[in-house]
Order: sequence, then C-alpha cells, then structure tokens
Amino acid sequence: MSAIGELQRLNTSTGGPPRKRDTKAALLFLLPWFAGLLLITAGPVAASFVLGFTDYNLIQPPEFNGLENIQRMLTDERLHHSLGVTFTYVFVSVPLQLAAALGLAMLLDRGMRGLAFYRSAFYLPSLLGSSVAIAVLWRQIFGAEGLINQALGYVGIEGTGWISDPDTALSTLIVLNVWTFGAPMVIFLAGLRQIPVMYYEAASIDGAGRWTQFRRITVPLLSPIIFFNLVLQIIHAFQSFTQAFVVSGGTGGPSDSTMFYTLYLYQRGFHSFDMGYASALAWLLLLIIAAFTAVNFWAAKRWVFYDD
Amino acid sequence: MKKILAGVLAALLLAGCGGSGGGKADGDLTADKIELRFTWWGSDARHQRTQQVIDLWQKAHPNITVKGEFKEWNGYWDSLATTVAANDAPDVIQMDELYLASYAERGALLDLGTAGKNLAITDFDAKALATGAIDGKQYGLPTGVTTYSIVANTDLLAKYNVTLPDDASWTWDDFKRVGDQISKASGGEVTGVQSWGFDIGGVNIWARQNGASLYSPDGKVAIPADVLAKYWQYLLDLSKQGIAPAASVSVERAGAGLDQSGTATNKSALATWWNSQLTSLAKASGQNLKLLKIPGEGTATGAYYKPSMFWSISSRSKHQAEAAAFVNFLANSQEAADVLLTDRGIPANTKIRAALTGKLQGTDKAAAEFLDSVKVGEAPRVTPNGASDVEAILKRHTEEVLFERQTPQQAAEAFIKELQAGIDAA
Repeated sequence: MSAIGELQRLNTSTGGPPRKRDTKAALLFLLPWFAGLLLITAGPVAASFVLGFTDYNLIQPPEFNGLENIQRMLTDERLHHSLGVTFTYVFVSVPLQLAAALGLAMLLDRGMRGLAFYRSAFYLPSLLGSSVAIAVLWRQIFGAEGLINQALGYVGIEGTGWISDPDTALSTLIVLNVWTFGAPMVIFLAGLRQIPVMYYEAASIDGAGRWTQFRRITVPLLSPIIFFNLVLQIIHAFQSFTQAFVVSGGTGGPSDSTMFYTLYLYQRGFHSFDMGYASALAWLLLLIIAAFTAVNFWAAKRWVFYDD
Repeated sequence: MKKILAGVLAALLLAGCGGSGGGKADGDLTADKIELRFTWWGSDARHQRTQQVIDLWQKAHPNITVKGEFKEWNGYWDSLATTVAANDAPDVIQMDELYLASYAERGALLDLGTAGKNLAITDFDAKALATGAIDGKQYGLPTGVTTYSIVANTDLLAKYNVTLPDDASWTWDDFKRVGDQISKASGGEVTGVQSWGFDIGGVNIWARQNGASLYSPDGKVAIPADVLAKYWQYLLDLSKQGIAPAASVSVERAGAGLDQSGTATNKSALATWWNSQLTSLAKASGQNLKLLKIPGEGTATGAYYKPSMFWSISSRSKHQAEAAAFVNFLANSQEAADVLLTDRGIPANTKIRAALTGKLQGTDKAAAEFLDSVKVGEAPRVTPNGASDVEAILKRHTEEVLFERQTPQQAAEAFIKELQAGIDAA
C-alpha cells in the first residue's frame, strides 16, 4: 500500500529537488531485493546464530545450553574428519580448476575461428556442474559398471567402483569440480583481453620467450583477476554440498570419504535431529570461510598488482 | 546452505502457530473437499499397489482426495524430518520401527487410540500391536509382520548345478561353502552370496544366535564387541574369498536400492532379505526365487517377527479424523488387503490374514507360508530414541571393515561407542 502511495506521489510530485526523487525511486526498486535479503537470508542467519546455543531436535522447542555445542566440536572426531575431507577438496580442486581455466582462456585468447562457440561449450559445465542431474550422471560414469570402467575394460584394465571405493571417491568429486572451470575461464578471458598487445610485442623484441612473457606480463597484469577468481572459488568450494550429497546418496560414504563439512552439518541436523549443533556448525563454517578470505586479502598485498 | 537456513527459519516461524492441529481424531468426517497427504517408501511394485488402493478409497470418498508422496528409503527420512520440522508433515505416514520412538517421544505422532470410531484396532494381534505402542500409547499400527530370510535364485542354482543343504539345519559354514561353489562354477559371472551388513536385521539375528541382543530392555547398547567382530569377520571373509562381490561393488549396490541389488539383477544367487520383499524382488529379477531359513537356526533361534512397518498419523494433521478413517481403510478393509497382499508384510490384522491366506498366489503365497514355517523368539526391543540412525552407523563401519580400514574388532568397539553416544544425547 505504501509502495503504491509512494509511486503516486512520485508521479504527481512537482516540487523538491530531483536528486531526492531519484533516491526514493531507487529505494523503491530495491525494496523487493531488500525484503528477500531480510526474510530469506538475514532472518534465517540470525535465527541460526541463536539456535547455535541451543539443544534443538526440530520437533520440540529449542532449549538454551550455553556453550555446550562449542565444547562438543572440540571432541567430535567425525567433525574433524569432515574438515580434513573439505580442506583436501578445496586445496586440491581449486588450484587445478583455476589452472585449467587460465590455460584454456589463454588458448582461446590467441584468436581462433568459432571462438564464441568454444567459449559457450566450455562455459556450459559451470552452469550444470552443481546440479543434481550431473551428480547422478557422475554416479553412472564412475560406477563399477560405468563408462570409465567400460573404457578401461577395452584396454584390459579392471577398474574399481570409483565412487564406492573410499580411496577414489573424493577424487571423482574433485574431477567434477575441476570440470566446471568455465566460469573462471570466461572471467580470465575478459581479463586477458585487457592486456595491451604492445607489451608482448615489446617483450618479444627484447627477446623474451613465451614462458618469460607469461611470468613477467600476463601474470602480473592478470593478478587482480586471478585473485578475484581465487577468492570466489575457494568460498564456493567450501560450500559444496549437492555433488557429495547426490554422489554418496546422502551418506558421505563410503566410510565417510566424501563427508563434506556441509554434508556432516546436514546429517547432524536432519538425520540425528540435532539442529542446535548443526546451527553452531554452520557458524563455524562461516568463520572458517571468513578467515580464509581475510588471509587471502592480506596475502594479496604481496602479489596482486593494480595497474591504475 | 541457504535452504537449510531457510528451513530453520520456517520451522521457528511455524512453531508458534503449530499446536495440536485442527479437528479431533474421533470426530465426524467432513463433507467438505479436502486433501490428505500420504507418504511411503518402497519399490516400484509397492507404488503401483498403493496407488490402486488410493483409487479404491477415492471412489468411496470423492471429497477426500489422497495425494501419494512416495520415495526411496534413503531420501524418505530426510524428507520426513524436514517436513515435520517445517510443520508441514504429511497426514498419513508409513513409519519404521527404527524411527518410531524418535518421532513419537518428541510428540510428532498422534496416539491412534484417540481415533475411536474412525479407526478400529480390535482385530489386531495383541503382540503385534504392542510393537507400535510406547508407554501405553499406540503411535503406530503395524501393517504386518516379516522375518529375516535367505532369498535363493533357484534358476541360478540349477544353471550352475549346485544343490543346497537342508535349510532347517544348515550352518554359516555350509552357507559359505555353497556360496563358494556358485562363485567358482559361474567363473565370476555371478557371486554365490550378496554381501549384507547394511541393515540391522542381520546384526540382530547374529547377536541373538549368540545369546546376545543389540539393545538391553532399558534401551542401552548391549551387544558384546567380540560377537559383533565375528559378524564382520564373516562378511570380510566372504568378500575376500570372492564368495560375495568386491567391497566397492557391494557398497555401490547397497546404496542403490532394491531394484539394483544383486538379487534383483540376478548377479548373486543367495542374499539376506525380509521375507515380505520376495514379491518385489521376483518382479525385478524375472527369475525363480525361493525363501530359505537363515543359516544357524538349527542350533540357536535368532529369528523373530519384525513389525514390517507402521501406519502413523501426524499429531499436527489438520484432518485427523479423515486420516484415521483412511488408515482404517488401509488396515481393516478386505478390499484394500486384496490389492496390497503381503507387500507390507503378512497382515497383522488377524481377520484380514485369515481371509487372505486362501487367496494368495505365487510369491505372496510363498512369503506367507514361509512366515508360518519359521520358529521365532520374542521380538527385540524397539529401537531407542536417539538410535534411529543405527543403520547409517552400521553401514559406515561395515564399509570400514570391507575396505580393511579397520579390523572387525576395532569397528565393533567404535560402533558400540558411537551408537551409545547417540542414545545418551537424545
């Protein structure tokens, strides 16, 4: 009602400085987004903070239990294990993914026919990568009788059930994440386009080879973009859930080898009716991600080079 | 992440306006147009039968629409926990023995005793009824009883020319020996045995044959570690000697549900199942399957009648009277029983059971006859509150053993400790 009144006033208003009117209109347009932020994101985040200090079994009302959830984290071995799995996933898959993205971006940047097609084709997995359908497909490809093993069978190698073997299950998820290199690749590609060609020309006149050019020109001038991608992909990888959930059938198995932090949190909350502890775990994840991002920004001062 | 948080908020917002739900369970049925939500897990064969029963109900009650929501076992419990937390639980819930206490003791289920005229429980076997009652309140109405069995593929046995010993007296060593014969005779085409250790039935039987039980009567973990260790050692031997598939294959099949199992795909000749699953298995397999007694029963009785599942009603249902009437239809009407047959166990309703026995054919008949032929002891204690994820814990430790990441003894000790911790925390 007030929004409509606001609109009418905007339409009929003749007085007042135009800048003030613009501000009002801007706020009006922001309203739907802001309502969404408050109700769907900020509200639940605040609620989970409170729940983090309670014993809440989903069905009965929560009861405050002080710092008990935090004490539990210290001795919870499966939590520590899930942190190990998540760190492995983040620190192996993100560098590989960024390397693949940068490599392909440089290849595409050299100019080729049908660039638009290749760009879209490589970008596609990024759109699909965290979807349930792809995770289901992954289960088929890496299953005991899946595509990979059929291919291996032709050359006489008997493969294991990649997803059901605890030694290889996590690697299949890492491969899945690396495969979604398209989003950072497109950003890299845009960044590469910004580097003036004359730098490379000057360098090659001075006798610099490809590798030197890459190290001395591409990396420094691209460093803000690399930094941006790094921060984004680390945050993204820490929050991965769907892939592990679907591939392991929600168990994090076999024998907890794909037990991502988010999956453990989910299991505590919804399988063990332990939502108070799960809420506390959600906040711990937030702190971990914040800490890594802060370290990233601190380290950036040493290696990120801003041209302007 | 966002979805989890949103769910939490929704739960908090709705908790205030929850309460006891509208409509009393023993009230008159409404004449208005309403919708009941009814949820179950199961195989394709069960979905078809259940939908037929819903259609029958619909004919008699055009104003009470029943919307079926069916899932596969693993997804079922995630979904139920989420909907209950969001105060959006289905009205009629297919419940399992593992979860009954966890939901009932937290007030999520209706005491069916309050449904009065809408739901008759007089025809039910008293022992069976008791399995669905906690502190004198009837939170679940048992659909039927079922018992642990070996399902043998007789086509495969004939193909590889293997004869089984008498199942009244065979031992676990016999079982291993014939399994080995089949594996060898098939040259790796099929395995003699399908690995198990992913459901709690196998552990219960093993414990009971060894004079122990998984839980003590007061709801503590009571199985001795060395009994459990021997169980896992047996499973490990099967896997390592090629009598059961390699660990990774077993784990993959166990996660994929009944229709993808070694029995359903004719890749294992012998497997442990609840006898009521015979029809679903036979439908998927397309070959001749036969029920046999569990090995070792000749010397010590481990077998028992398990309440195969329960009908429960959400305590927050807005249509409790209608939900009770629908459960009454499922549990007491001959019309429904003629369609459902033994899919949810041999009916615990004695009148239905008597009327049904003559009508059963094929695998349904075999399942009913098998149940009567098994000598059983007292049913084990209902799974305590806080232990509902016992099968997830069991599965994980079975994996640890099969992949030789832990010795059976280590796994047994870790399993007992973790299960007890869950019970203590609830």
